[in-house]
Amino acid sequence: MTDRRRINGPSGGTRPPVFASSIKSTTTATERPQRQRQPNELRKIFLKTGLIPSASGSSYLEFEHSASLSAARALPKSLIPPSSSLKLACTVHGPKPLPRSATFSPNLVLTTHVKYAPFAARKRKGHIRDASERDLGVHLETALRGVIVAERWPKSGLDITITILEAEDDRWWGDAPDSHDAAWGMMNVLAGCITAASAAIADARIDCLDLVAGGVAAVVVDESVDGGEPSTPRLMLDTDPAEHRSLLSACVVAYMPARDEITELWLKGDNSKASVGTDDKSLSYETLIDGAVDAARGAHSVLAEAVRESAERLAGLETGYST
Amino acid sequence: MASTATAPAPQPIPPSLSLPPSQFARLQPHAYLLAHLSPPASSQQPSIRANGRSPSQFRVTSANTGSLTHTNGSAVVRLGDTTAVCGVKAEILHTEDIASWSVSHSSSSSFASNKRRKLTNPTAKLGEDRTDSGDNESHIEDFSLLVPNLSLSTGCAPGLIPGAPPSALAQSMSHQILSLLHTSRLVRAEDLQIWYERPNFGPEEPEHHNESEQMDVDVEQEGSDEASIQTGEIKAFWVLYIDIMIISLAGNPFDAAWTAVLAALRDTKLPRAWWDVDNETVVCSDIVSEARKLSLWGLPIASSFGVFEADAAAGWRSVTIQDAEEERKLAEGDRKGIQRRWVLADPDGYEEGLSQERVCLVVDKPQGGDGKVFIVKMEKNGGFAVDRKELKELVDISTRRWEDINQILKQC
Repeated sequence: MTDRRRINGPSGGTRPPVFASSIKSTTTATERPQRQRQPNELRKIFLKTGLIPSASGSSYLEFEHSASLSAARALPKSLIPPSSSLKLACTVHGPKPLPRSATFSPNLVLTTHVKYAPFAARKRKGHIRDASERDLGVHLETALRGVIVAERWPKSGLDITITILEAEDDRWWGDAPDSHDAAWGMMNVLAGCITAASAAIADARIDCLDLVAGGVAAVVVDESVDGGEPSTPRLMLDTDPAEHRSLLSACVVAYMPARDEITELWLKGDNSKASVGTDDKSLSYETLIDGAVDAARGAHSVLAEAVRESAERLAGLETGYST
Repeated sequence: MASTATAPAPQPIPPSLSLPPSQFARLQPHAYLLAHLSPPASSQQPSIRANGRSPSQFRVTSANTGSLTHTNGSAVVRLGDTTAVCGVKAEILHTEDIASWSVSHSSSSSFASNKRRKLTNPTAKLGEDRTDSGDNESHIEDFSLLVPNLSLSTGCAPGLIPGAPPSALAQSMSHQILSLLHTSRLVRAEDLQIWYERPNFGPEEPEHHNESEQMDVDVEQEGSDEASIQTGEIKAFWVLYIDIMIISLAGNPFDAAWTAVLAALRDTKLPRAWWDVDNETVVCSDIVSEARKLSLWGLPIASSFGVFEADAAAGWRSVTIQDAEEERKLAEGDRKGIQRRWVLADPDGYEEGLSQERVCLVVDKPQGGDGKVFIVKMEKNGGFAVDRKELKELVDISTRRWEDINQILKQC
């Protein structure tokens, strides 16, 4: 079935390029990127509001490049990027009246929509939303529904649209797909979506209980420094899946610091294997969730700054200070 | 006919504006823009658009390339508040996957003759080359090697529902970009071909070495390995998926999208690729120094215009060609300094809603063309205000725009 509304490529289909270095296992020129941050150190977040004037509220979020990626950009050697950093744009339209055909709703009706750009990931994405994108939309909606004071806008709708321009990898590109592999990159994307959407909602002057921020933590296994045996599992905040040998479990939360509430919790993986044999309490699910909450607190400080800027811009507009 | 002759005059502007300008702009958009463009003679104000630009002035444009990691080339172009992001991703189309691929395509003779042509006029002028590069260039169109798609469903404007199939506007712009890519022959077919050359130097000659020479078709080696070229064969093509996301829409999306495509293609690097006989597939090298940039033909740059008519009901006029009487009246008005229509360059969203007639010009000024300007595309619809005389002026404005964009793209 071809899509008549779009320009389709060759009917025979095309294949993504295969690189010689990835099929010859002998080459050791490329190495897995190494995490240069402390286990509890987050990547810097760039967050800016109001870049899209036609929307009621908007934000743009970008994660800092990892050390390996910025090195590869400064001095390119290989065409295969070692890792990638999240870049996304979020718009909020509304509150606006619901269409006539919609049933009565005493609350604000929230619609979320997350879409990857076709060039966002290592593998080309389709134009139509796939299951994982819909999944992200649902997770984002639950995260935000608990924050917005929905009774203030009966019979209204609020559309939140997120376009992901660059996504995170699920694993290092050199690793073979694994059975216990999951879409780890999606969790970072969700955390970014939550933070960006929160900023955009505040930019649209929608009443919220608090600024909700997203954070990720994971239990990871790394190669030990001298190669060979993998190290013991450790808890890390704001993990880049490309930087680790394997992720045992990961958790993303949407967290409201002022109320100390979690509106969305998504935990994937199994770290029972990791905690077998050790009495170490540091790898339990509780600590994993606490780690994610800590990461969300970090993101919240960036978020608060972005929202303050947005408020100052509005104040400037109202007094006619800036035109 | 009666209604056409006596179109209602635009609303007179109340002497004291009791509404704030922003609300007045929403309630009476036409009168608002008209008041800006034709201020009362007593006020001593210059005629200026509501957004503070002069009629032939474009918005501030900026471009940034190569910021997206997973693309072969990418660009972000901001045209005022309109933002377009373009990413180019290259994939491989094997000739065995092309149903219509015939033996005649890969016959060595056509390639050899092509090479000879290239050898005989190495400093070929752009204009000539475009016309006689025939058969080779048709590959791009025949096998759809360029796949541009524009997406507006990014929440870029309130009316566009995300997740819905592409709107008519998005579809038409995708097709405009595709046809412009084809007609301007911006991308050269040679850049997209992946060759396999059977080794005929002798069995001990390392195959790899052979191929590496073969891939650098643009370097001046053609003469030396003419013999080996005779046995060359196209094994695959690069297909460029050019995806444009309009992140923010505030009028004139086409110029922004096309500039983004242009900047992204200029940024695009294709890895060195060769046919691997053992694996029966195409393999690429990931070494940056071996990758090469696309060599584009020229730099066609688009500029769009909207026509604003003082007569608010002009859009509803029945389709009649203005008779001599009307023309004379207009000319008279011009003499008296009463302007009735304005051609606005780079209309923003507000002005786009008020103009019926659109003009889109794509011009190019090739390097060796002695400053000559080529019109690559000219499109005009929706009215008859823009005549031959006006079009000539618009071409001049577009040429100036070409210089500006050329500078911007050079710097990014």
